[in-house]
Amino acid sequence: MVTAEKRAELKATDASLIDRIVRRDESALAALYDRYSGMLSSVLNRILRDTQAAEEILQDIFYQLWRNAAQFDSSRGSLSGWLLVIARNRAISRLRRHNPASGDELSENTVVVASNLESSVAQQQLMAKVKSALDNLPKEQRAAIELAYFEGLTHSEIAQRTGDPLGTVKTRLRSAVETLKRDLHP
Amino acid sequence: MSSEHPTRAEDFDLYALGALDNAERQAFESHIASCADCAEKVAAARGRMAILAFAAPTVAPSPGVKETLMRQVIASAEGPGGSVARLHPGHAEDSGVFARWWAVLLPVAGAFALATVLLWLHNEQLNRQLADLRNTIEQQKQELVETRHQADLIAARETLVVPLWAQKGTPESHGEGHARVLYNAKEGMMTYDGWLPAAPADKSYQLWLVPMNGAPISAGVFNPQNGEMSHMMMKLPAGVTAKEFAVSLEPAGGMPHPTGPMVLVGPIS
Repeated sequence: MVTAEKRAELKATDASLIDRIVRRDESALAALYDRYSGMLSSVLNRILRDTQAAEEILQDIFYQLWRNAAQFDSSRGSLSGWLLVIARNRAISRLRRHNPASGDELSENTVVVASNLESSVAQQQLMAKVKSALDNLPKEQRAAIELAYFEGLTHSEIAQRTGDPLGTVKTRLRSAVETLKRDLHP
Repeated sequence: MSSEHPTRAEDFDLYALGALDNAERQAFESHIASCADCAEKVAAARGRMAILAFAAPTVAPSPGVKETLMRQVIASAEGPGGSVARLHPGHAEDSGVFARWWAVLLPVAGAFALATVLLWLHNEQLNRQLADLRNTIEQQKQELVETRHQADLIAARETLVVPLWAQKGTPESHGEGHARVLYNAKEGMMTYDGWLPAAPADKSYQLWLVPMNGAPISAGVFNPQNGEMSHMMMKLPAGVTAKEFAVSLEPAGGMPHPTGPMVLVGPIS
């Protein structure tokens, strides 16, 4: 049963929840966790293929949000985008055994996401849209972009991994991002 | 590329994707560090690439993650403000933290100061009351000593009890009055208890010990109020044998030798 309080949390904007976190309202953090933990858990598990490591990073990201929420400027970028970027960066750093990211991530990584992802419905719709757009890419382009996004490989590293010429990889990736931009952000 | 804008729009997406190799990435970052327009485009490109996360298969976190997180948050001694203060000393949030502290501390300090003043005043009042009580105790101690001396004097076998009688024909006292003297020659102690009408304004009564030999010895000057008994305790030279005691009316303050009329006389029989 969804209580009135729960319904209010579901309707609250990210910005208002961040303000409440700054005022040390734990329920606001819980609401943001409920809103975005599934989305982040999915990408973390896809990159790391390690549930325990993914959950450690997931918990750490939200704890960092609790501690440093005052640094987040909602007017400059979206929280959902920032969470996705930080989750991916941390997972890839872990995958490559890089040093963990610093606490300055909140103020340094401005991310502007065109879609409002504050509701689970919006997230479901975007998921379908992204999967459809990737399905429509040529197989080599999709493989290249997934190597770049989920494994954090550069042009050269993809070329090395696939054995394809560097120029070919660059062309595939450029074409892929161009197509995705057109399909997802018309 | 460091001084020129990226030539193609996809460059921003490729940078956000992390696909650029080191040299390209460093040149790109060098440019956007000083180009606000390109920095904005990078923010938008990050958003476009970020949503590729939705291509990942859905994996829900275990419930334990949230429970652990919330326990960590509740147990955390410092909230978001404290962390910000540490990361950016001197930041605006710092003054907010101090302002909140001052908002609490100032009224407390004011109340403390007021309480201190009130306690000081109360302490002063108690000190005055204590001083009064000490004076009263000293007076009572003195009275107790006198009473004991009188009691000792009365109990002593050698103490003389001498009644003093009014002398008829003394217009100043109208022939009224009576008194009693206790005298212990060995100790040189003497007490006087008696009643006389009030002396005229310019006069005083003076008690005398009249020895067997020699001039009368002054034993005290007194000015009784109307209707009141007079009581005196005197220390005289020890070993003086008295012949009689007398009270004369003298100029105010008394005289070295009797000059006025005798209003009370008590011979030792």
